[in-house]
Amino acid sequence: MIITGLLLLALVLLGAPLFAVIAASAMLGFNRSGIDLSVVAIEFFGISEMPILVAIPLFTFAGFVLSESGSARRLVRLSNALLGWLPGGLAIISLAACALFTAFTGASGVTIVALGALLYPALAQAGYEDRFNLGLITTSGSLGLLFAPSLPLILYGIVAGVSIDQLFLAGILPGMLMLVVLSGYSFWKNRHVRQSLSKASWTEVSGALREATWELPLPVIVLGGIYSGYFAVSEAAAVTALYVILVEMIILREIPWRELPRIIRESMVLVGAILMILGVSLASTNYMIDAGVPQRLFEIIDNYVAGQAMFLLAMLVFLLILGALLDIFSAIVLVVPLILPVASLYGVHPVHLGIVFLAAMELGYLTPPVGLNLFISSFRFERSIVDVFRATFPFFLLLLVTVVIIAYWPGLSLVLLNLQ
Amino acid sequence: MNARHARWLQQAALWGRWLENAVLFFLLGGLILLSASQIALRNIFSTGLPWADPAVRMMVLWLALAGGIAAGRDRKQIAIDVVTRLLPDRARRIADTVACLFTSAITTAVAWHSLRFVRDSYAFGDTVFGTWPAWIFQIILPIGFAAIAYRYFLRALMPEPDR
Repeated sequence: MIITGLLLLALVLLGAPLFAVIAASAMLGFNRSGIDLSVVAIEFFGISEMPILVAIPLFTFAGFVLSESGSARRLVRLSNALLGWLPGGLAIISLAACALFTAFTGASGVTIVALGALLYPALAQAGYEDRFNLGLITTSGSLGLLFAPSLPLILYGIVAGVSIDQLFLAGILPGMLMLVVLSGYSFWKNRHVRQSLSKASWTEVSGALREATWELPLPVIVLGGIYSGYFAVSEAAAVTALYVILVEMIILREIPWRELPRIIRESMVLVGAILMILGVSLASTNYMIDAGVPQRLFEIIDNYVAGQAMFLLAMLVFLLILGALLDIFSAIVLVVPLILPVASLYGVHPVHLGIVFLAAMELGYLTPPVGLNLFISSFRFERSIVDVFRATFPFFLLLLVTVVIIAYWPGLSLVLLNLQ
Repeated sequence: MNARHARWLQQAALWGRWLENAVLFFLLGGLILLSASQIALRNIFSTGLPWADPAVRMMVLWLALAGGIAAGRDRKQIAIDVVTRLLPDRARRIADTVACLFTSAITTAVAWHSLRFVRDSYAFGDTVFGTWPAWIFQIILPIGFAAIAYRYFLRALMPEPDR
């Protein structure tokens, strides 16, 4: 059993797709227990028994369309018109705009490409220090992860069987905490940058508003619709997809129709890659739960870890390592089913666990060796990974502090739920 | 491999890509229209299509596999490339070949067991949405995994070019 485990690990390191390795481990496990292997197909078919799953292709597609359109430029112009006069304001704008954009485009690194390319030169022009800008943009690429309707939040809800509406509420305050801490740092770090990029101008504000007329209602429709209970999450996803097609392709005509098949393919390739892993994981998780893996995991952990506080610490360390090695989607699908029962034995609320899990995984975007944001920034701004990592490090440390706060202060995640 | 075979494979790849795009287009378009019309029907006419929800769920399953096939072609399946990225070209090609052969073998096995699952479902007369035979929707499982197996087998034969 140890040898097969090592063999599978070796295949992962050789670059075999994760879904194939997970399928192999599930089949080996079922085979050992003498269970007919068609169970893998039956479990995979379980994808068709999850109504909420439709939100994933729809939101992903909408995010891809948005990132191909000029909405990033309009978002920057509007934020700049509203806050650009404030000294240090541009850094704060960058953080807020990136968080919003990431929440809608699903933290697939597209924020750095779409928004970073606009903000990076603007920050330099406003007199910010280069290393700070690089760190800021790299960090912002995953900042909106905790805000609705981000893809990882939805996926966690599906895998953990937790209400996605509740997760959307729970993410607000922890996400705001991250924004406030990073904004505070940016403000303090650049307190000497007195030159502001633009003067307050009502004409610019109204011009920017007019330009963004069509996109402004989107967050209101989606978030308002979900939080007020008017739409289910999957319906909000359908409305978003339809709305972005209407605005970007029919009204503003920024994306020509002949580009549509390419955008559909690119977005659905991502969806397919995520759902393949989800499908085979349904089988491997089923096997592991049958084999009592979570129970045994708890018994092992219980020997070393006493009480919730220590469990949370151990989990954070584990998640930081996990986040440095695995992408967020695979991590959710593979690890959540195992960690959830253990965490509940230590009295951790499943919604709180989700927020801690995602917040910790957000740091994984910034840590080598697989930190996605580091690679995208390095590629996009033509800097070495080491440079990018060094520039990002202060932001990483601050986010680490906020993740610890989020973990040890469940109320921050849960207070809005209790208000409902 | 002679020139004629190469040309034939190229033609097959062209059609394959086109077919994937068409399937993805219609599945996603169908999902958007069906979900949106359900909202409209419910809010305006207080009614709905009873088959829409199960149809949407089946389309998501098909989208998962069609997207999975396309991801295989575009080399976008989620994998960990920390190690392979650091390898020299020759070693990286060998690693890629091993990984592709493994993936091809596993997906062939999954396709085979999926086929058995569909065959049983057909033999027992399983139904979904009330009266529809379930195998019509389940058939995507063996097809999808077989297509992925084929893709990775080809990739094992023709390793990616040098950087």
